[in-house]
Amino acid sequence: MNNTLREVDPWRFAGSFLERILSGGIPDEPNHPPIPWTPVTKPLAQSKVALLSTSGLSMKGDTPFDMEFERQNPTRGDSSWRRLRADATAAEIDANHLHIDTGYVERDLNVALPVDRLRELVAEGVVGASAPSHYSIMGFQGNDSSDLVEKSAPEIAEAMRSEEVDLALLTPV
Amino acid sequence: MGLVAREIEARGIPTVTLNMLWPFQRAIGMPRVAAIEHPFGRPFGDVGDTETQGSVLRAGLALFETAKEPGTVEHLPFVWHEEPKQTKWHPAEPSPIIALMKKRREART
Repeated sequence: MNNTLREVDPWRFAGSFLERILSGGIPDEPNHPPIPWTPVTKPLAQSKVALLSTSGLSMKGDTPFDMEFERQNPTRGDSSWRRLRADATAAEIDANHLHIDTGYVERDLNVALPVDRLRELVAEGVVGASAPSHYSIMGFQGNDSSDLVEKSAPEIAEAMRSEEVDLALLTPV
Repeated sequence: MGLVAREIEARGIPTVTLNMLWPFQRAIGMPRVAAIEHPFGRPFGDVGDTETQGSVLRAGLALFETAKEPGTVEHLPFVWHEEPKQTKWHPAEPSPIIALMKKRREART
């Protein structure tokens, strides 16, 4: 069910340098294990939604994502995760990510983690509830995603389940 | 982030992944992808643009109700308000991996 009326150009903002170094890593034919699928059983208007950002966000006072590790190991990235309060404001959040200008999300959290917009959709009745917690990882993992996938992702899923999250929206950096 | 979505989905929570680099997500094999043509760092919209932020969020969440099969890629119709040349998203300094690649490239030439 792919809508091909107007395809998103993935390289429009990435630019030609990134296109050259990244596009070679995309196989011509999909070559992946069967895609996991959990059916949606409730209308959105009755569902509790959590957000998971890859922007390297942490609550001020919490341990920030480790940028020094990546500076010392350019092909690796911090694989840990952070819990964010759903009522956090930009002033309460640190953003650590060496691949983007983090100045925007530091001014307005909603550019990457739309906490206020989600609350508005709840108030309008479009969404059932916002989870009390949202989450962040730091998206750049270089050539080794194993800790992120095998350790952090299951822990985040468990944290979501303990807050009875129905739906998770993953948001890119 | 695609592999993280797969793990969460496999543990019983449906996921939608908003992403610019959707061909990667498609290659990894993702339950539900909402492709968006926005610059890195501001996937939902610009600072203070509450209307776009809300619309992108709504469009992403809608996929939970419209996607009927794994591997769905929905191309969202949003158009960024600036041309790429006017859009600044890069960090002040190149990331460590980019700096390393540029150094290696220069060493070869």
